[in-house]
Amino acid sequence: MAEALFQIAEPGESRAKHACRTRAVGIDLGTTNSLVAIVDAGRPTALADEQGSAMVPSVVHYAGDGAVVVGEDARDRLAAEFPRDTIGSVKRFMGRGRRDAEATRKLTPYRFADDGQGASGEGVVRFAVAGGRAVTPLEVSAEILRVLRARAEEALAGPLQGAVITVPAYFDDGQRQATRDAGRLAGLEVLRLLNEPTAAALAYGLDKQAEGTFAVFDLGGGTFDVSILKLEEGVFEVKSTGGDSALGGDDFDRAIAEALLARTSGVDASDPRVVRHVLDAARALKETLTTETEAAIDVALAPGQATKLRLTRDEMEALVAPVLQRCAPPLKRAMADARVERGHLSGVILVGGATRMPLVRRFVEEWFGQKPLADIDPDEVVALGAAIQADMLAGGAGHDDVLLLDVVPLSLGLETMGGVAEKLIHRNTTVPCGAKQEFTTFADKQTGFDLHVVQGERELVAECRSLARFTLKGIPPMPAGMARLEVTFMVDADGILRVSAREETTGKEAAIEVKPSYGLTDDEVEKMILDSFAHAEDDVKARLLAEQRVEANGIVAAARAAMRDAPELLDVGERAEIERALGGVEAARDGSDHHAIRLAIEVLDHASKPFATRRMNRALEQGFRGRDVDAVDAKLGGR
Amino acid sequence: MICWSCQKQAGAGPLCAACGALQPPDDAADLFAVLGLPARFAVDLAAGEAAYKDLSRQVHPDRYATADPRARRASLSRTVQLNQAWRTIKDPVRRAEYLLTRAGIDIGGKQPTPGSDEKRTVEVGAPPAFLMEILEQNDELAAARRAGDTVKIAFMAEEMRGRARESMKAIGAGLDTGVRAQLEEAARELVALRYYQRFIEQASGDEAKLEGGGGAG
Repeated sequence: MAEALFQIAEPGESRAKHACRTRAVGIDLGTTNSLVAIVDAGRPTALADEQGSAMVPSVVHYAGDGAVVVGEDARDRLAAEFPRDTIGSVKRFMGRGRRDAEATRKLTPYRFADDGQGASGEGVVRFAVAGGRAVTPLEVSAEILRVLRARAEEALAGPLQGAVITVPAYFDDGQRQATRDAGRLAGLEVLRLLNEPTAAALAYGLDKQAEGTFAVFDLGGGTFDVSILKLEEGVFEVKSTGGDSALGGDDFDRAIAEALLARTSGVDASDPRVVRHVLDAARALKETLTTETEAAIDVALAPGQATKLRLTRDEMEALVAPVLQRCAPPLKRAMADARVERGHLSGVILVGGATRMPLVRRFVEEWFGQKPLADIDPDEVVALGAAIQADMLAGGAGHDDVLLLDVVPLSLGLETMGGVAEKLIHRNTTVPCGAKQEFTTFADKQTGFDLHVVQGERELVAECRSLARFTLKGIPPMPAGMARLEVTFMVDADGILRVSAREETTGKEAAIEVKPSYGLTDDEVEKMILDSFAHAEDDVKARLLAEQRVEANGIVAAARAAMRDAPELLDVGERAEIERALGGVEAARDGSDHHAIRLAIEVLDHASKPFATRRMNRALEQGFRGRDVDAVDAKLGGR
Repeated sequence: MICWSCQKQAGAGPLCAACGALQPPDDAADLFAVLGLPARFAVDLAAGEAAYKDLSRQVHPDRYATADPRARRASLSRTVQLNQAWRTIKDPVRRAEYLLTRAGIDIGGKQPTPGSDEKRTVEVGAPPAFLMEILEQNDELAAARRAGDTVKIAFMAEEMRGRARESMKAIGAGLDTGVRAQLEEAARELVALRYYQRFIEQASGDEAKLEGGGGAG
């Protein structure tokens, strides 16, 4: 990688310059997993945790006491126990309204909060979670970003300069804004939103020195993107992009889960735990069937009763194929928009976890008529590309010739008479871009004007996505048709639209009131950010305290259960010592110092260790008597 | 122009001649001049693309991500103008429209005014006989669509593509003569071309829908 970066950039330059790295990171905020990567010595690298895993499951658990848990523990343990309070695949809710498909699904483990607008409200989606809290998708995403930020700050031993966060190329304006705001809420300086296929192409182009026209096929957990790019002399020019921001591995899981449920009798599909278990089982079966031809899994669909679910690869492929077929129309349109024939592509790049499935690979190979490229790990390639872009933006050396030219994925327009959408900026226009439109008043002394901004390809406004409603105010009173209002659309390099307006005859800037149709207003986001700054330190302390309290309670309960279970293994002195330590933990738990709780837990550990060891030995002698004892022993002995 | 950064004469280029700070663009600048091309229909597209990429490397927001807010704003508006210039010039229809606008010939606002039912103002309109012919063609296309006759639709689209190509050639030749009457003739041809293009779009859409079982949505 370092060599490739060199040759494209400054051939004569010394390697030493690269050692001086920037403090900017690339973040892949994925539906299923998220990653953070940096460029180190000219080479993009995903940052891993102590266990060597770079991927953070995009799952956030909200506990009743205010603690927030992100990642594997939330996905593997808490999601099954607290399905409603453990949010996964939040990306599919970003910038979406309460009436969107995702929030009105039947097979969902979540509960949505009423925002005071009633069931028909058009407001932002809010998840009702433990502790009576309602959190927006933006806030949930910010929790994931905070974890990635902490990981990067630890690796770089200090604060970050900024971050590039990737988004599906097909994300609309509302989804992009929500993502950028989530970054800000997580305390990140968002240098750029980068389209995921473009990020992948950047990683490939610089590493493999690829030249020519490429298709990027990106099928992730929740979104599908296809981008056609021309790579030439360091210029990455997106010719067209297409996709479906609600199509991905999750939909495969859902198709499988529905079939599994239909096959199994006497199951309560309205129970969120059952839904969570079946969706998890579907995902596990799907993953196993990537390499195996048949798979089985035990699932607790009713209390204390395990059901074995079996699936063969053929059965799964039959279930998934109709969903996969939904990729075909966007592919066709992207190719037509780029004016490229299938046979003229230099390569097809695979991105996203779902492209590991043999069925998906066959589909891509058949559709494009060539074997796709997967040399770079499809789970990491987007984060690596984002890291390169972040390094570039932060002024890292060796990128002088590199230029990314990306496009608007969906046309932007205004509602006109009869509910028709008039396009001002067409899809696949290179960003940044702008357009101007003149309006006039149609009534005498009219001082205001309503505008409705929409995004989409359909003719009718009702079939496009509503982005915002604007009211232009303060137009000086004039006869009808005399006012000259110039409205300017400007799409920046993040693909985000800004609107401004001016009355031309008087030169007066018209006041604009923005009411995002499916998002939070700037004021609401500002308030969230200010609140989070004001409480940042308190938050950290409160979280640590809450976590320690949970742990303390668990340990006290486990220790008491063990003492009741095996009193004969304790002598009087030892029992008194453990009781004292237990009292210490309980007292510390009721205080507000998380250090004190930690300390008290260590004292208890120390005091109960000989007892725990004796219990473990006896259990081994007698043979394993059951899972309960194992669990308790693991808790006591594992400290 | 006085440089926003050093308050000295900035000169004509994107960067200040004195201090190198990126200057905001002249909003009234000619789009051909933005790319350093002569204002004519027959342009050297390869030279245009090379100029576009060179200038993009200099002014793109990616180069100014961590710069002073004023330089960032200049970068954004410079790049918007540059992208608009290249988008206008690389496409023959948009290039022709722009050349006519420059010459003061109004071929109709491209967008009607939202919120009003004001019709498009077309100074150079299409003759009624031409409009009748297009209407008949549209009816024929609609009939083929109802009958699911993809062969007929493909044939009609191909015929219309031929007419569009001829039309484009005539427009190009007329535009570069610089003679007023020829320019007006090119403008009328361009109005006709818009009808051809709309027809081709409609026909390709019908074809895709009939072939794909209505999949494209």
